[in-house]
Order: sequence, then C-alpha cells, then structure tokens
Amino acid sequence: MSMALGILARFGAMLVLLLVNGVMLIYMLRKVLGHLHLRIGPNRVGPFGLLQTTNDVIKLLTKEDLRPASADAWLFNIAPFLIFVPSFMAYIPLVFGPTLAVTSLDTGLLLAFALTSLVPLGVLMAGWASNSKWSLIGGMRAAGQQIAYEVPLLLSALGPVMMAGSMDPVKIVAAQSGVWLGFIPRWFVLPQLLAFVVYAISSQAETQQTPFDMSEAESELITGFANEYGGMRFGFMYLAEFSNTFVVSAIGTMLFFGGWQLPWVATPAWLAPFVFIAKTYTGIFVMMWARGSLPRFRVDQMLSFCWKVLIPVSLAWVVVWACVQRLWPVVAMAVSR
Amino acid sequence: MWGSGILKGMAITMRNMFRGPITVMYPEQKLTLPERARWAVAPRYDEEGAPKCTACLICVNECPDHVLNLEVSRTAEGGKHIDRYVYELGACMMCGLCVEACPFDAIEMSHEYELATRDPHDLVRVLLRDVDAASARRAKGGDDA
Repeated sequence: MSMALGILARFGAMLVLLLVNGVMLIYMLRKVLGHLHLRIGPNRVGPFGLLQTTNDVIKLLTKEDLRPASADAWLFNIAPFLIFVPSFMAYIPLVFGPTLAVTSLDTGLLLAFALTSLVPLGVLMAGWASNSKWSLIGGMRAAGQQIAYEVPLLLSALGPVMMAGSMDPVKIVAAQSGVWLGFIPRWFVLPQLLAFVVYAISSQAETQQTPFDMSEAESELITGFANEYGGMRFGFMYLAEFSNTFVVSAIGTMLFFGGWQLPWVATPAWLAPFVFIAKTYTGIFVMMWARGSLPRFRVDQMLSFCWKVLIPVSLAWVVVWACVQRLWPVVAMAVSR
Repeated sequence: MWGSGILKGMAITMRNMFRGPITVMYPEQKLTLPERARWAVAPRYDEEGAPKCTACLICVNECPDHVLNLEVSRTAEGGKHIDRYVYELGACMMCGLCVEACPFDAIEMSHEYELATRDPHDLVRVLLRDVDAASARRAKGGDDA
C-alpha cells in the first residue's frame, strides 16, 4: 500500500514539475526572446505579464477539439499522447539532490535517451495522420532530424559516462564532487569540452529549437506536424517540447556541470534541488539565447552537418578519450618511476 | 575561425538584451514624432485665427489620389468664399505633395496619427466650412501681401 502511495506521490510530483516547468518556460521564452530582440515581451496580463501563460492554458483547455474530416482518426488522436508520455517519463532518471530522485537506475541515462528517442515516432504519426502536406513535411523533417541527432547526443554522453564509470545519474553526479588541483571543480565539462559542445548542439536539434526548427518552421510550414491540431491536443505537443527542453538541459547539467552540487563547498541536502534547477534553467536560457540569435538551417545543411561533422567528431572523441583514460595511469606510473 | 559568426551573432543579441527595450507601452506611453513626420492634412491659420487658404485649387489639382476637394463660390464683392474644403482621409497616402505645392503655406502635414475610427464616414473630413478665402479678405483690405 505504502509503496503504491509512494509511486503515486512520485508521479504526481513529476507531473506538477512538468506543468509548472511548461508554464514557466513559455513565459521565460517570450520574455527572453523579447529582450533579445529589444522588445518587452508579454506585459498586459497580471504584473509583468506573469498571467499571460495561464490565460493561454485556459484558452487551450476551452478550445474545441477539432479533427480534419480526412485525418486518420485513430493515429490522429493518439499521436499527441505518444509525444507527451515519453517526455513525461524522461523525468524519471533526473537527480535533484543526494536523496531526491524518482528512482535510481543503473541505466538511468540510457532510459532518458531511449525515452526521448520515442518522440519522433509520435511526431511522424501526427504528421502522417493529419493528412496535410505541411504536417507531413514537418513530420518527415522531424523524424529525419531527431533520428540523426540522437547519435551524436548519445556519443557525446559517453565521455562523462566513461569518466564516472557508470550510467547511473546518481553515480555520475557523485563522481563530480571535489576539486582537481585544489581549485578546479571536478565538473566533467572541463576535460569533456568537445563532448559538451556536441551535446549542446545536438540537444538543441533534439528539442527542435531554432536554428534546428525545420519541423515546425513557422515561416514555411506554419507549425509543421502540429498544423492540424488545436486545443489541448496541440497543448500536449507544445508542453512536450518544453518538457524535452528541460530534460535535455537537466541531463546536460548532470553529465557536465556536477548536477546538484555547488562548486568548492559541500551542498546541504535542502539546497541541492535549487542548485540543480538553477543550473538547468541557466542551460535553458543559453538554448533560448541561441534560439533568439540564429537563423534557421536549411534541411540538407542540418543533416550533412550532423552526419559529416558531429558524428565523426564525437566518435573520434570517444576513441581518443578511451585511450587517454586507459593510458593515463600507465603514463603516470612510468613518469613517477 | 569556423563558427565565429555564431559567437558574434550571439554576442550581439546579448548586448541587445542589456540595452533594454526600444519599444514603449504604446497607449500609455507615446514617442514624440520627428518634425518631418507626415500624417493627416490639416489647415493652417494666421495670427488672427483665420485660415490662410486662398482657394487657389492648386492642392486639389496636385493631389495624385484626388482626396482633396474645394467647393468655392463667389462673394458679393467678387472674392472667393470656401463653402467646404473636403479631405478624404481614408484614401490619402500622406505623400505631402499638396503641402509642397501650396504657395501660401495654408496646409500642413499634421502629427495627428491616431486616425482609426469606428465609423467610415469619419474618414471624410471637412477641413474648412463656410469661410471667406484669404484672397477675398485681402481684397477687402484686411491684409497686405
């Protein structure tokens, strides 16, 4: 009984976190993009426009649930949930503090990547089922893009995994405590800078944010695969996009920036989730910053960049780092002898 | 260096972020218009408050959109009397050619820019109504020049 309650409480907490994140991130996106573009952003509803997103949610909830007559009803109805559920479940392996995680899995990182890689299926399904040219083009682009960028995303995570010797996020974060040479925090971003750059680029593509937003491309495909959706079905897709943004930023924090730990000082358990959220939101801010600065790639440029640059680079880095890590003790021993 | 353009672009947007917004909260806050801003055509008046228009019809003939119309009649002394000076605001493109053409400096491009109305009839304005033209008043000896 208590176990069932515990599971329910955990899932409730995940859901609340996801919804609050969604509302916060939409507001943040509008404000950040506004100020990057010398505008103000939302400022009418509530103080500083804070209630704007709430209004949007109410609007989405109360809108009519339309389905095009020629759409494939079954696929059309199920696609938003197929996009939403994996991005919801991807919160499972996140570690918010020394004792604060939904669960501890030996393969947590793998689970997160596996779940986010389910999203293109739903996107393709939505694009196909809408029976609209724009939706189909958007869906195909999203599938091609996300499947391509999945590869460098995983490969770039291998470096930190090798350093920590585990795929368990709890252990990866724990391996980043302490300092090198007395003053450099043991964050994996320093030795793994190249892997981090690859991770940052491919996570931007994975969450379909500008400059990799060809699948929605407002100016050419309107909203791409979500074109024929309205009301809360569209809301689910939108929410999933922001939740994915949070998840990739959180995973990046865990892999490269020491997770919930403060640099140099020991982190009290109550402060840990705040540190983690602050780092994650900093990551999200950088993603939005890129989003507000860069123009959209062409589809062929995006794909050839992935296959011809990112994947070879990340593969080479995995090999190089594996050699370095294997040979380092030998070299150190030889030097000290 | 490859990729430096991206960094440069991101530096520009970050600088923008700290420059603060250049937009203002429009209905509450308004920017002052530049001197040469061209909005609705408005008549000008002399020191005594009488319109400077001489009803010469140059503006009417000059207007490429035919939005100006002067209905002129003769006074008993033979001077000109303006019955109505009609301006179709809705069709005006604010080119300012009428103002440039006016030899008497009798009209101007005003800075009135909030021109939306609820009633389309408000888009036809009568600038002057039932007033003697400046030339007629001069003929009476009211003004030199």
